[in-house]
Amino acid sequence: MNNKSRWALWIAGAVALFLYPRLFGIYYANIFVTFAIYALYAVSLNLLLGYTGLLSFGHAMYFGTGAYGTALALTHIKGLPLVPALLAGFFAAFFLAICVAPLVVRVGGNAFAMMHLAFGQLMFVLALKLRHITGGEDGVGGFPIPPLSIPGLFSLDMGDPILFYYFAVAVIAASLWLLWFFTKTPFGQIMVAVRDNTKRVDYLGFRVPHTKAVVYVIAGAFAGMAGAVYALFQNLVAAYDAYGILTSFVPVMMTMVGGIGQFFGPICGAGIFGVLDELTTRYTDRVELVLGLVLVLVIMYAPYGFTGFLTYLRMRWSASRAQRSPA
Amino acid sequence: MKTMRFLFMATAVLCSLGLVLQSASAADMVPKAAFDFKNFPDMSDFDPNKPMPLKGDTIKIAVVASHSGPAASVGEIYWISVLWAAHMVNKQGGIMVDGKKKMVEVLKADTQSKPDITKKVCERMILQEKVDFLWGTNGSHLQKVINQVADKYKKISVNAASLSDELQEVPDFSRYAFMTTFSTEQIGRGLAYYYGQIRKKEKKFYILCQDYLFGHSMAEGFKKGLKEYYPDAEIVGEDYHKLFLTDFAPYLTKIKASGAEVVYTGDWIPDAANLLKQARQMGIMLPFADIFMDEPRFLTEVGVEGTKGIINLAQYGNGNPAFKNDDQIKVYRAWNDLWKNKWKEPYNTVLYTHPFGNIGAYIGSTYWLLSVVTRAGSTDPEKIIKVWEGDTYQLPSGQILEMRACDHKQITPLTVNEFVPPAEQKQSFNIPPYYWFEGCSNVGPSTLLPMDKVVPKADPKLCK
Repeated sequence: MNNKSRWALWIAGAVALFLYPRLFGIYYANIFVTFAIYALYAVSLNLLLGYTGLLSFGHAMYFGTGAYGTALALTHIKGLPLVPALLAGFFAAFFLAICVAPLVVRVGGNAFAMMHLAFGQLMFVLALKLRHITGGEDGVGGFPIPPLSIPGLFSLDMGDPILFYYFAVAVIAASLWLLWFFTKTPFGQIMVAVRDNTKRVDYLGFRVPHTKAVVYVIAGAFAGMAGAVYALFQNLVAAYDAYGILTSFVPVMMTMVGGIGQFFGPICGAGIFGVLDELTTRYTDRVELVLGLVLVLVIMYAPYGFTGFLTYLRMRWSASRAQRSPA
Repeated sequence: MKTMRFLFMATAVLCSLGLVLQSASAADMVPKAAFDFKNFPDMSDFDPNKPMPLKGDTIKIAVVASHSGPAASVGEIYWISVLWAAHMVNKQGGIMVDGKKKMVEVLKADTQSKPDITKKVCERMILQEKVDFLWGTNGSHLQKVINQVADKYKKISVNAASLSDELQEVPDFSRYAFMTTFSTEQIGRGLAYYYGQIRKKEKKFYILCQDYLFGHSMAEGFKKGLKEYYPDAEIVGEDYHKLFLTDFAPYLTKIKASGAEVVYTGDWIPDAANLLKQARQMGIMLPFADIFMDEPRFLTEVGVEGTKGIINLAQYGNGNPAFKNDDQIKVYRAWNDLWKNKWKEPYNTVLYTHPFGNIGAYIGSTYWLLSVVTRAGSTDPEKIIKVWEGDTYQLPSGQILEMRACDHKQITPLTVNEFVPPAEQKQSFNIPPYYWFEGCSNVGPSTLLPMDKVVPKADPKLCK
């Protein structure tokens, strides 16, 4: 694909995103926002799982911290504008990741996964038990959603679902672009090298734990950003949704279904899960069962996920075209 | 001395006169609308498993509840209750709305007991299914979400089952939300009044509630009530457990050691069932003071002895005996005959024997809603609000419900029932077979609490 057609594709995508709520209405705009939030959340996990080879079963602690950070900031700081509220969630997760990173970056594999399971559950129990701060089982809700405004210029009411759609899509698109850019930097290449051969990276003179720590903090902070948008979108943050075990497993499943190690894999995974969820809830309450079955099928028949399967099809198509073309 | 005697006599006479006038006005209160016994239709085709198929433009009510998961049976209860009232209205020919006769359609909206799903499903109901009313639900934290969504999209939310006072107070209050149930503070004060001013026996109480808004509000209401009506009482322990707990042993051990005489709980099923069953299995025969420990399936599992002495505060009922005239018996028989002869799983279980207790209250809430729609002649939320604020409605039991205009909270007298073995239930269930349930203790002595002692809490920011 040349540069021109690539640009044309991006512009068509942007126009489609702009027209989407006008064409499909508020309900589907809300579904798209949910998809976008989980796409960012899953991409942040993929930095750890797909790019660095670190499986986390407790990534919800960053998602939840971002969500609670924004919700609590808006509850307790009167007149807090929208962007600082969003950044409150981002930095809450960022600082938590800075605190946890030294404890976890020297381990890998099962130990890393289990430590995160433990940390994730710890955060969940704390959110349940510290009722006076977190609202316990009820959560923090009904906080004011400030307008997006530049004094003297404009003020957009974020209570309007369509306006919120544009805001959320803009924030998430910007976050995804930053993460994509990050994977393309030289540091991003080291990250992949850490996944493929840690010892070799070490022998080359790179500090593996430090590298892991940087990736870890970035992954945590952007999961927090996803959580912050989630808090603004739902206007409610509760322990089960923010820190629950399923909230930790969902991005892992999305990444595996979409395609591990490919930047757009988790985004596709979030899309597939969103569509399945929307379709299955209309007929049955056993949504998790259907999603679990899909995961099993993907692992058995398409271990590189949806994007891996597309790559495979493209390669076969290219190969058959090459065979058919005259030498 | 003479003047003193005169003043004393005059005061006594005036006070007596005031009391007589007050009681007379309460007894003679004429409701703005009442359940229409005369037009009660033939309900023999009602089947909760096969709702009447409806076509065209309808009035839509979404029953937003846990229709799956551990609390699925709560969703079943709501479903049959709302569907029964809707079926009755449909058999009467529907409701004239904006110049058109419309049938009432009931839809299931499954919250899966999760706040984010609740929001999503409510939005789907309003934006996709175009429902006119959201009817909910088990869990004040979920009702809060329902009210928020209703407020956002300007639809009426009927809270028939979440009891936290906070839902109708600043900052959560929404003019689109109506609470047609008793509330936590009212329940706490009601039970405290009963123990302190009427029963006057037990003094040591242990509070065990669910660890969320509702559970904490229940406990606060009771503590406040004890201070007001029973200062000699002692709270010997207080605990909050997570929702849908399966092992109550640690809490029950503490209760046993505390020397409590009564366990006060707001637990609803499945927690209420597990709590009672495990208590009896551990040999703890203490009475429970509660509101949801009236579900006959688990009461029957525990048996007559294990359920004897339970004190249940109910929002539905009008004192003993339960049946005061033939019209009430006719409506009751319509339900009970179908339960005996027609309904299949899960509605053929002992739980659905009688349209009383909480089922009666949920049906009553829906009768009231549909009566308001009839009188408003519209499903327009503004017209509904106008009619419902300050409205009064008489249920088939004779009980009168009032909607306080300032905060949209229901005002109604409460009843405290003591559970006794079947042989002693005739005082309450005064038609054959003269007992509510054969396999467990149930309502016997019934005490109507004075209305002025159990008026629901009002937020001064809303009610001047």
